[in-house]
Amino acid sequence: MNGRVPSYDDLMPGIPDEVDARSTSQLALFLRDTVNGSNNARTSDPGELPAKDSSALFSGCSTPSLFACLRIANHAPTADCDRPASAQAPAEQVRLIAVARDFSPRVMMASAREVLLDVSGLGRLIGEPPAIAAALARSMKAAGITAQVAIAATQTAARLLAAQGPDSSMARFPGIPVIDLQELETLPPAMNHRDRARPYETFERWGIATLGDLVALPAAELSSRLGRRGVALQRLARGLDPRPFVPDGETPRYIGRLELEWPLETLEPLSFVLARLLEPLSAALERADRGAAAIRLELRLTTRALHARVLQLPAPMRDPRVLRTLLLLDLESNPPSAAVDVVTIELDPAPARITQFSLLERALPSPETLSTLTARLSALVGESRIGSAVLVDTHRPGAFAMVRFAPEARGANGAKRADGAEGAGAEGAGIEGAAVLRRQRVPPAIRVRVESGRPVYVAAARRGMPQGAVLQAAGPWRTSGGWWAASDAGRGNGIGPVPSPVSSKPAAAGDGGQPRRGEGGWNHDEWDVALTCGAVCRIFQDPASQRWFLEGLYD
Amino acid sequence: MRAALESLLRARKLDVTVTDAPGALAPPPERFAPAGGGGLDAALGGGFRRGHLSEVTGAASSGRTTIVVQALAAAAARGEAVALVDACDTFDPVSAAARGLDLARLLWVRESGDAGRALKAFSLILQAGGFGLAVLDLADVPAAALRRFPWPTWMRLARIIEGSETVALLVGSEHLARSARGVTVALEPSIVAWRGAVDRARLFGGVQSSPRIVGGRR
Repeated sequence: MNGRVPSYDDLMPGIPDEVDARSTSQLALFLRDTVNGSNNARTSDPGELPAKDSSALFSGCSTPSLFACLRIANHAPTADCDRPASAQAPAEQVRLIAVARDFSPRVMMASAREVLLDVSGLGRLIGEPPAIAAALARSMKAAGITAQVAIAATQTAARLLAAQGPDSSMARFPGIPVIDLQELETLPPAMNHRDRARPYETFERWGIATLGDLVALPAAELSSRLGRRGVALQRLARGLDPRPFVPDGETPRYIGRLELEWPLETLEPLSFVLARLLEPLSAALERADRGAAAIRLELRLTTRALHARVLQLPAPMRDPRVLRTLLLLDLESNPPSAAVDVVTIELDPAPARITQFSLLERALPSPETLSTLTARLSALVGESRIGSAVLVDTHRPGAFAMVRFAPEARGANGAKRADGAEGAGAEGAGIEGAAVLRRQRVPPAIRVRVESGRPVYVAAARRGMPQGAVLQAAGPWRTSGGWWAASDAGRGNGIGPVPSPVSSKPAAAGDGGQPRRGEGGWNHDEWDVALTCGAVCRIFQDPASQRWFLEGLYD
Repeated sequence: MRAALESLLRARKLDVTVTDAPGALAPPPERFAPAGGGGLDAALGGGFRRGHLSEVTGAASSGRTTIVVQALAAAAARGEAVALVDACDTFDPVSAAARGLDLARLLWVRESGDAGRALKAFSLILQAGGFGLAVLDLADVPAAALRRFPWPTWMRLARIIEGSETVALLVGSEHLARSARGVTVALEPSIVAWRGAVDRARLFGGVQSSPRIVGGRR
């Protein structure tokens, strides 16, 4: 919009050509279908419902969508009927929304007095649309709300029907006054009252009084005289929706809380508590066709401290056994410091996962399986020591980063592999393509005898390492880097490279491969040597300290 | 439909128990996972057998890791998920990626020398299923430490993947174990290739392995 006030054309989309507006017969057919697909299930009292019409009225409804409109009757007119509910929020409105939410999670405030709800899936539970309308009317009566109910295949038709009086029938749909469309229009706030009323004055001059009259007008001529607004009004008169149904964002929370009669000190009894909390939450997620994207566990301890854990799941899932296993494995790795008094679990809902399998590709482990496996492996070897390796953009020998293991579609991975191969070629002397290196994460110091500037004998510092006279040697190749930021490099970047011993002493073992402060730079003179023991090694000398280290073995 | 049912019964290991009639269910077709090397695949008769425990053995610099990385790369290229339990944390992602391994499909478990924990992690991966190739690299674990594992340990691993689509591969310096239809790829001391005659201009050109296939009952 570039900051300008949105025009009417911006707000109202173009009319699709599913109906030829120039063909009177098609319009009549469409109107009939709309009317049949709508209903006369409008009622303010279940007793008024003409049961004999219920089957015939919806027989022509081919669309799976079905919307109900609840419209508060005798509502005091306000200056702006389209103000959102949150602006006014009278008690009646709140009760109306509560009634709507009892029937469907997909609820939308259409105006200050109208609530739309998607009742598409209620057929199996309640019955035909007239029965749904009757059930809604009963619920509203029980809640003390005086409101009209209408069900139709489109939001617009439902709203128009609900706006009619209690004594009107479905046959009157084409006879609904055109002026009733005014409430359904979405116009720019800056538009003045005169412009707002202009097309209706034109219709009055033309003698167009009802929706049926408006629908019968040729769309092209209507467009040439009234512009896109005229065509949009005709579209509304057909019962078509100007915008899709977007449920209000008030999503239900999935929280379970249990105060224990006595504190639990071990995980085994806690697993039963977790199962008891997770099963109803998972069932609620299943009813809403949702999965848990994250689990928030809060344990109140006997010391009054809170032990909170948040598990981000790789894909929405709702199997209570999987969720419980993940929680237990996480608690095994991060146990609470005292006995547990109160357990609270909250699941973050997300749209359920849709899985499309292929006959042409081998199935990968499911996210549930991978989550459980990853959690078990994390508990066994440590969270930072499992995952997928990712090459990083550096010439540092052996640099890589660890990320969560999440195999994806082959297309995406193909690109990644190409990148990785390119990055790999940048390091070393181009020999990796010939043999794979078994790299020492912490290069052990070795003793090397040098003659005429070339290594002639390698002596290991400990048992099990290769040693012997050098049969062949290739080198040296100098590689250095990170000297410009030797004190800062490697901090907090997640890289797991070999900590290069730029100082005279080799890096300490057991640091998990994480670079330490002050070890960001490296400076190596590398050699490839074949020893009499049969091993082919990559060794290097630190020019500063003149000490030798074993970088790895070719294997 | 029949093939699908038979496959399902085999996966649940019910192909023998559901009927007494010999030959009621045809013997399962051999399922191989190509190892990615033409010569090795030919020697193996198509690749490593799925659902069986095989091993790659040899001395240092005999080409064990290269063969394993080739097999991992081939499986990943087929769209399979692969796993590597690295008992001594010696796997080099840079040189493996240069051999064509799609690292995003590799679950890498880095263990720092505890063979028992590595074995347990490997067992968890096999039990989870869904991996085309799972490798347990014990090449740098001292032989004395490996000999402490009782023999049924390896048979239990073989039993976990029996009938599945997973190839379990052990990597060691000497023979460890294989299942009945698994194979041992024993690598003889390799020939080291160098390029360039002059000392100052010489380049390491790789190692040429000579695998010997043992086992693999037909």
